[in-house]
Amino acid sequence: MNIELRVNEQDFRLVVEPDERLLDVLRNRLGLIGTKEGCGEGECGACTILMDGKAVNSCLVLAAQAVGHELMTIEGVGDRLHPHPLQKSFVELGAVQCGFCTPGMILSAKALLDRNSQPSEEEIKEAMSGNLCRCTGYDKIVKAVQRAAEEVAR
Amino acid sequence: MNEAVVGTRIEREDGWGKVLGETHFPADVNRPGELYGAVLRSPHAHAHIRSVNVRAAAALPGVVGVFTAENVPHNAHGVLFRDQQVLVSECVRMVGDPIAAVAAETEKIAREAIARVEVDYEILPGLFDPEEAMKPDAPALHPDMHGPSNVLYHLPIRRGDMQAGWTKADVVVEKEYRTQMLDHAFLQPEAVLAYVDERGHLVVKVATQYAHYDRGEIAHALGLKYSQVRVKTMAVGGAFGGREDISLQIIAGLMAWTLRKPIKMENTRTESFLSHSKRHPMRLYYKTGATKDGKLVALEAKIIGDAGAYSSWSPNVVRKAAIHATGPYEIPNVQIDSYAVLTNNPYSGAMRAFGAAQPVLAYESQMDLLAEALGLSPLEMRLRNIFHVGSVTATGQMLTSSVGMAKCLQALTPYLATKGDAS
Ligand code: FES
Ligand code: FES
Repeated sequence: MNIELRVNEQDFRLVVEPDERLLDVLRNRLGLIGTKEGCGEGECGACTILMDGKAVNSCLVLAAQAVGHELMTIEGVGDRLHPHPLQKSFVELGAVQCGFCTPGMILSAKALLDRNSQPSEEEIKEAMSGNLCRCTGYDKIVKAVQRAAEEVAR
Repeated sequence: MNEAVVGTRIEREDGWGKVLGETHFPADVNRPGELYGAVLRSPHAHAHIRSVNVRAAAALPGVVGVFTAENVPHNAHGVLFRDQQVLVSECVRMVGDPIAAVAAETEKIAREAIARVEVDYEILPGLFDPEEAMKPDAPALHPDMHGPSNVLYHLPIRRGDMQAGWTKADVVVEKEYRTQMLDHAFLQPEAVLAYVDERGHLVVKVATQYAHYDRGEIAHALGLKYSQVRVKTMAVGGAFGGREDISLQIIAGLMAWTLRKPIKMENTRTESFLSHSKRHPMRLYYKTGATKDGKLVALEAKIIGDAGAYSSWSPNVVRKAAIHATGPYEIPNVQIDSYAVLTNNPYSGAMRAFGAAQPVLAYESQMDLLAEALGLSPLEMRLRNIFHVGSVTATGQMLTSSVGMAKCLQALTPYLATKGDAS
């Protein structure tokens, strides 16, 4: 089927299978490999992207369901010259280990900061609760989100 | 030594690529014209394979190759003993054993084809209890490679005089402890891209802990020279010991080499759980004696590690469990026996601490119970026995430097006095 997707402020015309997952379209058809697959069943959050600013698991969304929505992947969050405060704080505070959970973590955190720029520690933990980190750097991840919130507030 | 970095935060050089989504894990790389590979795995823990029929799978449009044991030149791999087959020929020893592999134009077709492979299994009773499997009359799971017994490894450690030790003991605590099987569950499921490059070399891109060993295992299984195989380590999405053994490397390499086409493979989470090693479940039988004034005088420990279906690193892991069996405590009279036993459970291998984690449950619980029996605080019980510079371990190693345990416990004393210490 023919669909149009808007990803990272760019429009794409695509031919996809009706049962194709948004995750696969992003990775395989658009080459946006920053979105990861850890479980394929909504448990791990590695595939998190933003849909109209809200964090969703792209492994649970069909590509066709994303039509008409504004999508953002990690590639749209920042680049080397203009990193997002979250990307900076994750690197600076050592919140990155193997890095497989990192894109999803950053997108969940971005969804939070975009609606609540001064989250409490509890609110951060709640917002990130759908993202697993098996390298278990949760403490640093929470601190990195706090640091980014301070920077966003400034 | 440059100590300036200690206590400072160094930015990881791979950090930026990871936060920007640029980093390539093996699932993130592709080659033009690549085929997709999938593996059929056994649902049975112990079975004899009477036959494998791949005709229906091979006939599916889009299937380019179907592989079974007979297509593997040297069908064996393993870090210590090559007791694991690339594709199982006759004897299934655990759930998840690979039996056939398919290369097809798409993932969907590859997985459909796998479902069409017909395997005729003669299901055999499984050995799931390591203590049953140790018995002399238990059927041997690897008679050719490991002989008539399922005891893969036994390390006895003896120090001092047990009888003298028990005579001196005013209290004796005897208990059994058990630890469970654990999966590393690294977040990035195994994936691989294998292809033949412009120089005719087989290239295998993979997330591995052990590129040089993978290279040897691939070369051995395919009958290639080392110089014909390149293993490129991509970003590793967590490992924790679980990427020390071969996963998809040889199967992908075999298909790429035979078909001269790039092969991409990715495990689902379920396949990942089914196929890689686990932390050894251990049974720890402990008998520990101490004098009235809280000095340890004797330890008798029997440790049984469930190696599962293949040896992987089991001898080294249960050896380490034995070496750590006393904990960081001086005990003059020691008798330790540590075993690795083959069963039909998922195979056990390397996982964080490599066998040193399991005995902690036993020796520290023993210390608490002895403290209670003697009316000492758990902290005091430990301070009276802790390793110092000059201590000799159960294996006869004299500790000459860097023994910080006493200092560490002393630093914790104020905290323990208010919160941690029940007494
Ligand atoms: S891959 Fe989507 S939640 Fe795990
Ligand atoms: S950094 Fe490895 S899973 Fe989070």
